[in-house]
Amino acid sequence: MTATVQVGTRSAPAPDDAAAARRAMSRLLRPHLWRFALVIVLQVIGALAGLAPLLAVVELGRTLLSPGVVDHGHVRTVVVAGAVGLFVRLLFTAASSGVGHLLDGQVQLSFRRALAARLGRVPIGWFSGRRTGELAKVVGEDVSAVHPFIAHAPGELVSAFVVPLVSLVYLLTIDWRLTLITLIPVVLAVALIPALMTPNRLREQQEFDAAMGRIASSVVEFVQGISVVKAFGGADRAHRAFITAADDFVSIFTRWVRGVSAVAAGMQLALSPPFVLLVVLTGGTALITTGGMAPADLLPFLLLGLGLTAPVAALGHGFDDAQAARRALGRIRDVFEVPPLPEPAHPVAPRHHRVELRGVRFGYHDDHEVLRGIDLVLEPGTVTALVGPSGSGKSTLVQLLPRFFDPTHGAILLGGVDLREISSRELHRMVSFVFQDVRLLRASLADNIALAVPHADLDDVVRAAKLANIHHRILELPRGYDTVVGAEINLSGGETQRIAIARALLADPPVLVLDEATAFADPQTEQAVRRSLAIRAHDRTTLVIAHRLETVADADTVVMLENGTITERGRPGELLAQRGRFAEFWRSHRPATAGGSR
Amino acid sequence: MIGLLLRVLGHEYAQPMRRTVALMVTTAIAEGLSYALLVPVLRALLGGTPEAAVPWLVAFGFAVAVYAALRYRSDLSGFRVGTTLLRGMYHRLGGQLARLPIGWYDASRIGELSVLASRGLLQAMSVLAHLLAPLVSAFVTPLTIVVVVLAFNWQLGLAALIAAPVVTAIHIWTGRSMAATDVEHAERDREASGRVIEYLQAQPVLRAGGRTTERFRLLDDSLREMQRTSRRGVLSMLPGALGLALTVQAMFTLLLFLGAYLALRGDIGAPEVLAILVLATRCADPLLSLSNIGGQLRGARNELVRLDEVLRTQPLPEPRQPIRPAGHDLEFDSVTFRHGDRTVIDDLSLSVPARQRLAVVGPSGAGKTTLLRLLARFYDVDAGAVRVGGADVRAIASEVLTAQIAVVFQDVYLFDGTIEDNVRLGRPDAPAAEVRAVATAAQLDEVIERLPLGWATNVGEGGTRLSGGERQRVSIARALLKNAPIVLLDEVTSALDPVNEAAVHEGVARLMAGRTVVMVAHRMRTVQRADRVVFVDGGRIVEDGSHDELLRRRGRYAEFWNISVTPAAGEQLTPVALPAAPSGSNRSSPAPSSGP
Repeated sequence: MTATVQVGTRSAPAPDDAAAARRAMSRLLRPHLWRFALVIVLQVIGALAGLAPLLAVVELGRTLLSPGVVDHGHVRTVVVAGAVGLFVRLLFTAASSGVGHLLDGQVQLSFRRALAARLGRVPIGWFSGRRTGELAKVVGEDVSAVHPFIAHAPGELVSAFVVPLVSLVYLLTIDWRLTLITLIPVVLAVALIPALMTPNRLREQQEFDAAMGRIASSVVEFVQGISVVKAFGGADRAHRAFITAADDFVSIFTRWVRGVSAVAAGMQLALSPPFVLLVVLTGGTALITTGGMAPADLLPFLLLGLGLTAPVAALGHGFDDAQAARRALGRIRDVFEVPPLPEPAHPVAPRHHRVELRGVRFGYHDDHEVLRGIDLVLEPGTVTALVGPSGSGKSTLVQLLPRFFDPTHGAILLGGVDLREISSRELHRMVSFVFQDVRLLRASLADNIALAVPHADLDDVVRAAKLANIHHRILELPRGYDTVVGAEINLSGGETQRIAIARALLADPPVLVLDEATAFADPQTEQAVRRSLAIRAHDRTTLVIAHRLETVADADTVVMLENGTITERGRPGELLAQRGRFAEFWRSHRPATAGGSR
Repeated sequence: MIGLLLRVLGHEYAQPMRRTVALMVTTAIAEGLSYALLVPVLRALLGGTPEAAVPWLVAFGFAVAVYAALRYRSDLSGFRVGTTLLRGMYHRLGGQLARLPIGWYDASRIGELSVLASRGLLQAMSVLAHLLAPLVSAFVTPLTIVVVVLAFNWQLGLAALIAAPVVTAIHIWTGRSMAATDVEHAERDREASGRVIEYLQAQPVLRAGGRTTERFRLLDDSLREMQRTSRRGVLSMLPGALGLALTVQAMFTLLLFLGAYLALRGDIGAPEVLAILVLATRCADPLLSLSNIGGQLRGARNELVRLDEVLRTQPLPEPRQPIRPAGHDLEFDSVTFRHGDRTVIDDLSLSVPARQRLAVVGPSGAGKTTLLRLLARFYDVDAGAVRVGGADVRAIASEVLTAQIAVVFQDVYLFDGTIEDNVRLGRPDAPAAEVRAVATAAQLDEVIERLPLGWATNVGEGGTRLSGGERQRVSIARALLKNAPIVLLDEVTSALDPVNEAAVHEGVARLMAGRTVVMVAHRMRTVQRADRVVFVDGGRIVEDGSHDELLRRRGRYAEFWNISVTPAAGEQLTPVALPAAPSGSNRSSPAPSSGP
C-alpha cells in the first residue's frame, strides 16, 4: 500500500516502463514457481498432520470419558496415530523450510544478477544523480528484504490461514454455538485494528521515517567532518547537532509508541491464551450446565480454539516485515523501470575520428541549461584544450562524448555519425576517458590496467604502465603486477590517476577525453598526463580539460568556455596575443605566480 | 545477552532494566499459574459435576485479570524503558564519537557508523521493547506449567521436566553455531556490496571492455558466494530448529503415552489427564516459538556487539597534569609511526623554530600528511615524541593544543549550515567586524557577494553547494579567524582552478604571516613561499635545505621538480612558446626570503 503510493508519486515513470518492470520481475520468478508450490504443499501436509496429536487427545478424552469398559486397543491406536502425526509434521515442515530457504537463495541470486545486468545497460549519466551506495543497497539489502516473502511466507500463511480454517470447519461440526463464542477474542482484536491505521498513526509513521533520516545524516556529518570538528574544537557543536537529532527522533519514536502501544497491548491481550481459554471455558460451562453440550465436546475447543487467533496474530506479527519488503520491492522495481540506454536498431560504424559538436545544448534540469549551443570540431591528430572558470560547463561537455548523457538539442557526430546511431560497445571502444573520479577494482593491478582490453598481454600492460609513470611504483611491490588493489595496497590519488591513464593508453582509443585532474597532481602524474597527450599516433583526437599552463601550451587548439558558450578559440599563442577573454583569464592567474616569486 | 546489554547501556540504566525484566518474569509466572486453575475446572466439567466448575471458573477469571494487568504494565514498561534507553544510548554514542581520535575514523567506518547509529541502535533497542517479553515468557511460562503439572501428578511432571535441560542446551548450541554463520553472512554481504559499488562506479570502463554484456566475473562470484553462504546458513540452522521441534514433540508424545497408560491403570482420573494434556499444549507453543525469537535476538545481539566495540574503543589518553607549551616551535624527536603493519614515519627527527615556514615535499605515500596529523595529535606516535613549544603533545590538554593550531586541509569539509556558521567555527565569539575582515582577507567576500543570500547562504551537507575553491576560501577564513600561532597546510591549492588558486594563494599568504607554518606542497609556487624545504620519502627526511640549495644539489628534490616541467618523451610538435610561461620564469627566479 505504502509502496504503491511511493512509486506512484515518484516522478511518474512511463506506464509501459512500469509494465516492463513488472514483466521483468515476474519473468525472474517464473522458473521457480513449481518449487514454490512444492514448499506450500509440504507445508500444508505438515501443518495438517500437526493437528493429529490434538485430535488424538480429543479422541482419548471421548474414549476415557465414555461410560463402560475402555477399549485398550482403541486407546493405543489413538495414541500412536497422534505420535505419527507429530513425526509427519516434523518431517514435512522441515523439508518445506529447507526447500524454501534454498529457493530463496536462488531467487535472490537471479534478482541480483538481473539488477546488475540492468544497471550495466542504463545510461551512465543516470548514475550521477544517485549515490552508488544507495544502488548497492538495492542490489544487496533490498533483495534480502524479499527473504521473508519467499522463505517464511508459505509457512506463515499456511499456519495462519489453512490450519485455522480447517480447525474452524471441524469445530463448527462439533458445536456451532461454542465455535462462535470461541471467535469472540478474534472479533475483539480485529475491532482494534482500525485504531492502528488512523491518519494520525500514519503521519507519525512518516515523521518517524523522516527523523530517522535526519539522524543518519547528522551522524554522517559528525563523522565525515570529524577532522574539522577536532581541529577547530567544534566537537561540541557537532555533538550537539547529533544529540538534538537523536532527542528529536526519540521523542517522535516515543509519541509513535505511545499512540500505538495501548491499542497493541489490547490486541495482544485479547489474543493471549489465558483470555481465549477463559472465554471458551465460560461458554463451555454455560453450555454443559444447561445440558446443551456433551462434556467431552469441550476438549477440541480447548485444544484447537486457540489456533483460531493465528490469522490476526500473524497480521500484527508479519506486518512490519511485509511493509519493509514491499518498500524494498518498490525500490527494486524502480531500478527495473529505468529504460536502458536506447541502442540503435541499425548501428552505423563511424568512418573516421573527427568529432563534431553541432549546436549542442544540454541541461541537467529543464530550467537550467549548462551548455548553450556549442559548435566545435575536434580534428584527428590534434589536442584541444578546454579552459574556463569552474562552473562553465567543461566537465559536462566532455561527459557528452562517451555519451554519459545525450544532448537535449543538437548532435554530436563521431566520424560523421551521430553518437546515438553508434552501438554503445563500438562507442566505448572508440572513446576512452580519464576523469577525476577514478575507480579501481579490487583486482590485480594488471587486471585494472587491462580492464578495457580484457585480453591484453602483460607486455602491453607494462608498456602502458611505463608511459603512465606507474611501472616503477608497481615493481616496488612484492607481488608486482599481481598485487591486489584495496586488499594488498592502497594507492594514493595520484597513483590511482596514473593507473587510469595507463588504462586509457592501453586501450589506445581513437578518441581520448581527459580531465587533467588537479586534485592529485604530483609531478609524476603531471608527466603521465603530458605523455598521454603527446602520443598522437593513429590520428588520435584528444580533448583535455586543462588546468595547467604547460598543458595549454602543448595543445593545438584552446577553447575558452564561459557560462556554457565558447567565447574564444584558437592557437594558444595567438589567443594570448589577442588579449581577449583567454588572455584575461590567464592574467588573473598570473598575479598568484608573481606573488609566489615576489 | 542481558549482560552485554547492560554493559552497552551503562550501569545507570541497569536498575529500570532489571525492574522490567522482573515484571516480565512475574507476568509469565502468573500466566503459568493461572493455568493451574484449569485442572479443577476441567475436573468438574468432565467429571460430571459441571456446577462445581463455576467457583473455579470465577477464580480463573480473576487470575486472568491479574495476568492482564501485569502484562499491560510489563508491555508499557518495556516500551518506556526501551525509549529511555534509546535516548541514553544516543547520548553515550555521541559522547564517545566526540572523544575518539581522528585516526580511528576511516572511510569504511563512516558508512558503518551511520547505519549503526540509525537502524542498528533501534534494532538493538527493539530487543527490549519487542523480544524480551516473548523470550522471557517462552522460557518461564512452560517452566511454571511443568511445576503445576508436578504438583498434580509427579510422574507426568517428571516426564515434562526432562525436556527442560534439552531445550536449554539446544537453544544455547544453536545460538553459538548461528553466531558464526551470521558473522560470515555479514562478511559476504559487505564483500558483495563493495563489489556492487565498484561495478557501478567502473561502469564506463567496464562497458568499454564489453564487460557488462557478459556477466562481470568479480561481481558474479561474490553474488554466488552470497548465495552459498546463505545455503550454509540454512544448513546450520536446520539441526537446531529440528532438534527443538523434535524435543518438544517427543515430550508431548511421552505425556500422551504416559497419560493414557496411567489413566488406563486407574492411577489418575481421566479428567486430570486430559487437563494436563491441555496444559502440555500450552507448554509446546511458546517453546516452539523460541527458534524464531532466537533468530531475531541474534540480529539485535550483533548490533549490540558492534555498539560495544565502538563504546569500548579507548580515546587518546588525556594528560593527568597537563603542561602548557612554551612558545610555538615544533619538534619531531626520533618519531616512528605505524599504520597497521606499515611504517609510515620511520625514526624521523626534525625541528621547526617558531615563525619558520617549512615545506614538506615528497612522492605520494611518503608520509607527508601524517606529519601534520601527528602535530595536531590526530594519532599518537609509536616511538619518540612530537613536541609543540617544548611540550610533548601527549602532555598538553587537547583543547590547549587545538587552540594553538589552525589546519587547512586539501578537501575542505563544511557543515550543513550558513557560510557564517562555518567561518565562525574558527572562533565562535569573534566580533562581526573581525569575521568580515577575515572574509576579505581570504577573498571570501567576493564569493559572498555573488550568492543571493550572502552570509546566510546554506552550504549544504559537506559544503557541496559551493565549488572546491569557494569551500577552500571558507576554510582559510576560518583558519584566519582562529588566529592560532601554528598553521598546518595540506596541499591547499592543488585541487583548484587557476582563478581560485590565485585567490586562495592571497589568503594563504596572509594566513602564514608571522606564524609557524608546516605545509605539505605539490606545487612549486607553494614551496617557494617556504623558508625551508624537507624532502620526505619512505617516512624519512631525504633532503633538507632551502628551495634553491636543494635545486643546486641536483638530488631527489631537483629531480622531482624537473620531471613535471620537461617536455614529455616522444613529443613531436614543438611546444608553443607562451609569453612569460610561468613554468620557466618560476624556475629561474629564486625565491627571496620575505621573512622578517
